[in-house]
Amino acid sequence: MDFDIIFGNAARAAFGPEAVILALAAIGLNVHFGFTGLLNFGQVGFLLLGAYGTSVSVATFGWSLWVGILVGLVLSVALAVALGFPTLRLHAVMFAIVTIAAAEIIRILIGSTDAIGLTGGPLSVSFDAGAFYDLNPYPDGPHDRYGVGTFEFTGQQMWVITVGWVLVALVSLVVFLIVRSPWGRVLKSIREDEDAARSLGKNVFSYKMQALIIGGVIGGLGGVIDAIKTSGADPNGFRPQVTFFAYTALLLGGAATYMGPVLGAILFWFLREWIESFLRQLTAEAWLPDAVADFLSGSEGVISVAMVGLTLVLLMLFRPQGITGNRIEMQLDAR
Amino acid sequence: MPDELTPVPGEARAGTESGLVGAQIEPNHSVPPVAGAPKPHPILVVDELTRSFGGLRAVDVDHLEVERGVVTALIGPNGAGKTTLFNLLTGFDRADTGRWSFDGQPVSSPSPDQLARQGMIRTFQLTKSLAKLTVLDNVLLGAPGQAGERLSAAPFRSRWRDQEEANVELADELLDRFNLAHMRDELAGTLSGGQRKLLEVARALMADPVMIMLDEPMAGVNPALAQSLMRHITQLAFEGLTVVFIEHAMDVVTGISDWVVVLAQGRVIAEGPPWKVIHDHQVIDAYLGRRRAGGGS
Amino acid sequence: MWMRRLLALAVFVLCFVLAWAVPVSAQSGSEADSSQPTVLEDTLRVGFDQFFAGVEITVADQSGASIGRAVTDSQGQWSVAVPVAGTYRVSLDQSTLPDGIGLREGFESIVEVAVLEGASRAVVFAVGEAPKGTPFGDRAAQTVFNGLKFGLIIAMSAIGLSLIYGTTGLVNFAHGELVTFGAVIAWYFNSSWGELNLIVAAIVTMIVCGMLGAGLETGLFRPLRNRRLGIFQLVVVTIGLSLLGRQVIQLFFGAEPLPYTDFQVQERWEFGPWAVTPRELMTVAVIIAILLAMGLMLQWTRFGKATRAVSDNASLAEASGINVNRVVLMVWAIGAALAGLGGVFQGLDTDIDPFLGFQLLLLIFAGVELGGLGTAFGAMAGSLIIGMSTEVSTLWISPELKFVVPLAALILVLLFRPQGLFGIKARVG
Repeated sequence: MDFDIIFGNAARAAFGPEAVILALAAIGLNVHFGFTGLLNFGQVGFLLLGAYGTSVSVATFGWSLWVGILVGLVLSVALAVALGFPTLRLHAVMFAIVTIAAAEIIRILIGSTDAIGLTGGPLSVSFDAGAFYDLNPYPDGPHDRYGVGTFEFTGQQMWVITVGWVLVALVSLVVFLIVRSPWGRVLKSIREDEDAARSLGKNVFSYKMQALIIGGVIGGLGGVIDAIKTSGADPNGFRPQVTFFAYTALLLGGAATYMGPVLGAILFWFLREWIESFLRQLTAEAWLPDAVADFLSGSEGVISVAMVGLTLVLLMLFRPQGITGNRIEMQLDAR
Repeated sequence: MPDELTPVPGEARAGTESGLVGAQIEPNHSVPPVAGAPKPHPILVVDELTRSFGGLRAVDVDHLEVERGVVTALIGPNGAGKTTLFNLLTGFDRADTGRWSFDGQPVSSPSPDQLARQGMIRTFQLTKSLAKLTVLDNVLLGAPGQAGERLSAAPFRSRWRDQEEANVELADELLDRFNLAHMRDELAGTLSGGQRKLLEVARALMADPVMIMLDEPMAGVNPALAQSLMRHITQLAFEGLTVVFIEHAMDVVTGISDWVVVLAQGRVIAEGPPWKVIHDHQVIDAYLGRRRAGGGS
Repeated sequence: MWMRRLLALAVFVLCFVLAWAVPVSAQSGSEADSSQPTVLEDTLRVGFDQFFAGVEITVADQSGASIGRAVTDSQGQWSVAVPVAGTYRVSLDQSTLPDGIGLREGFESIVEVAVLEGASRAVVFAVGEAPKGTPFGDRAAQTVFNGLKFGLIIAMSAIGLSLIYGTTGLVNFAHGELVTFGAVIAWYFNSSWGELNLIVAAIVTMIVCGMLGAGLETGLFRPLRNRRLGIFQLVVVTIGLSLLGRQVIQLFFGAEPLPYTDFQVQERWEFGPWAVTPRELMTVAVIIAILLAMGLMLQWTRFGKATRAVSDNASLAEASGINVNRVVLMVWAIGAALAGLGGVFQGLDTDIDPFLGFQLLLLIFAGVELGGLGTAFGAMAGSLIIGMSTEVSTLWISPELKFVVPLAALILVLLFRPQGLFGIKARVG
């Protein structure tokens, strides 16, 4: 059992592009759920539009990548507005169900054979993200590696994650600035009690809409990074569970905190990859009975996702405030 | 608290006095004590307002006027429709029929936040303190016209810092007045029930209301604090604020109100100065009838 | 069954992937290999096991000049090399397709494909069973029957979700996994371990699922209720359980579709425009019987009255001597058993995979919401409407899009009638 490899893999996942994408999705959710109390279960829809907006613009319409990114973000705003107008007045759980349904509708439509000419349908879409990599300052020869031991990245990967984490930092800063203001105070008051906010003259609908758009665009940004990272988009990558992963990251780090979603996303990928690598190493161990090894091998990924589910349950039971949250605040949450 | 029909004159002297002196317009002499009586300077005029819940008519008010700058108490047995009337007037519930005007403006499509911005601020029977905000933030939320509540200005502290500081000063004054200064930085969820009531009133006052509507502001507040709250309310009326409040305790009603409106089964059955209303046989019947049937409040 | 087969077939697509192997640009480094030819290639197949050999593919440039021609091999594979980036016309000779297989309505046999520098593009010709020219009326009748059956499956699965919500206020996102669990447990007893007759296996499944439901209530949700966990935390717990359950099912049963041993191939009985298998008739009859029994039980028995009382006002019910915990336990057991049975019927109709239940979950939500949350009768009616609209929509839209219809219906209902079609507006304030 080589713990260096396990740790290296886990660290690579924790700081790789996947963690960036998850962090952005979770920061968006934090604006929705953590600060405003909007139970958005369709965050994956925003990622999807960010990713497909970028990919389709370049691949199908032949536009420049930068225009594509803009299209992806504009589509995220459009989804927030389209979703928000009818549904923001709904009860929290109803809102959750509608958002999950809306995201599924988009995924089914985009992934259907009828949409092949536009989005590639079930076959996914791919495009040339060269415009992005042209700016790569990291030498990217076949032997260029950055990092130590198994915790290393290629020059291209370094470029994606550098841009990614800078974006995460910027977005976190913006969220911090707007949420600590009186504007953020209104958001939190809506989370605590909409009617109280209303009785003090706050236009609750308008604030919720602003929060939905901001959080949605941040999710869309995650989708854009996803598209650039994979040079394309695939409908199967945007199943509802992506939203639940983002919730896991958010709740792990602590909802309604500024660093929570980022720490949560890093921790999420670290643990997930650690478990998977550990199991992979374990199945190679000689002392393990063959029957157990057979059962485990090939199922490492399945088990690590199962652990995500288990983490969610245990978090809610034993530490609902996450690793950075405030216990007392959680106890006030007896609603 | 039990429904007390006996007035407590000695206790409430201070309040009544400032009420008498404070109100610029003295309705007691010029306005006849009959249901739906017109007032000289009404701030709120209600006509043919109804609201039913499945067959049961919760509110059915033909005509009601609330005089500007005085303290009006809304009383009535449980289930009389007092809170429903509040909800209708403040836009938290939709009336089946009816119209009303506030501060000279007809209210056509009532939305709670819009009415609040026009100066009609209410509190709730079940307090709605914002548990995970600090006591100070709760009060600050009430401040009207905050520049920093606009998203375009929010990220730039310089654009709202001065206003915020002024608001904090005002909020601290209010907290001081309501004996909450020591809890200033605690989360509101840690307050006792009575303290939350006070916090809600402080928050409502922070909103700079034209008319404040208090739904049982004294319930659960300890007697000493209740006394000081009563003094505040009369003081507010003295400063020109219109106060409407729902209350069960008759000593409070006679203590601080200038005018009493009695609701029973959704209707205004009587109104007048407190000392007249509490001797009105219709009012006594309404309460006693309720007692015989239900055994008190 | 042929209708469903046709739908399933039609969903499967024939794929032409234009894989564009470009001379890799500078930053791609070592992989640069400019000698590699540019090719158009793909595997011609339906589903994952039916490949078409001997199908002719022609590639031409925009002027119509032929660039290349290929015939699919035994694995359905073909490839054509093209000289430069540009727009090509790829055509498929329909006469070389096997009998009974053709292009789906609305799809062309010639497709223009633009290939960009450094990008690979995908184009698909959708083929399936060739349209047989069935009269619209017959097709409509058949989809109505399919819709009825699907709606009944949703309705039976929805009872548990609805009653649990009604009695405890819990929105159970793991309910779909109870359905999947039923499907795989029945498969286990029927096809893997016991080789029990499917009817026996289904009964065993109901018992196992009922016990699981009761176990979840006593072991997890009752303690959580006593701890007064917030509604959001409870929802997150069920989401965690849903993920966990689905993964565990996949761990033991794999992600590949599983079929039941029994009742796979059956002769159709013709009733006028309807052609149904005995299996489908049995499905419909059994579920209708169960729904009727549930309805009667809720309406007339002591347990039913207690359930409705708890749904109405749990503390009042408690105060008037009803053992709320026992009612909730029963509701969990019955609800889980019915969800499991729903999984068995759904598994008979489609293939069993770990996502079977989760896919159904959104439709169950739609049905429950349509009927008005927390009312069992509303949930049944709503589910029927959802099932019906899903299947009947395939008369006009592509079957792979059929799940969009109920989801859109859900959103529309929430928009215009948040209390559901049959719900009563709650008292405000």
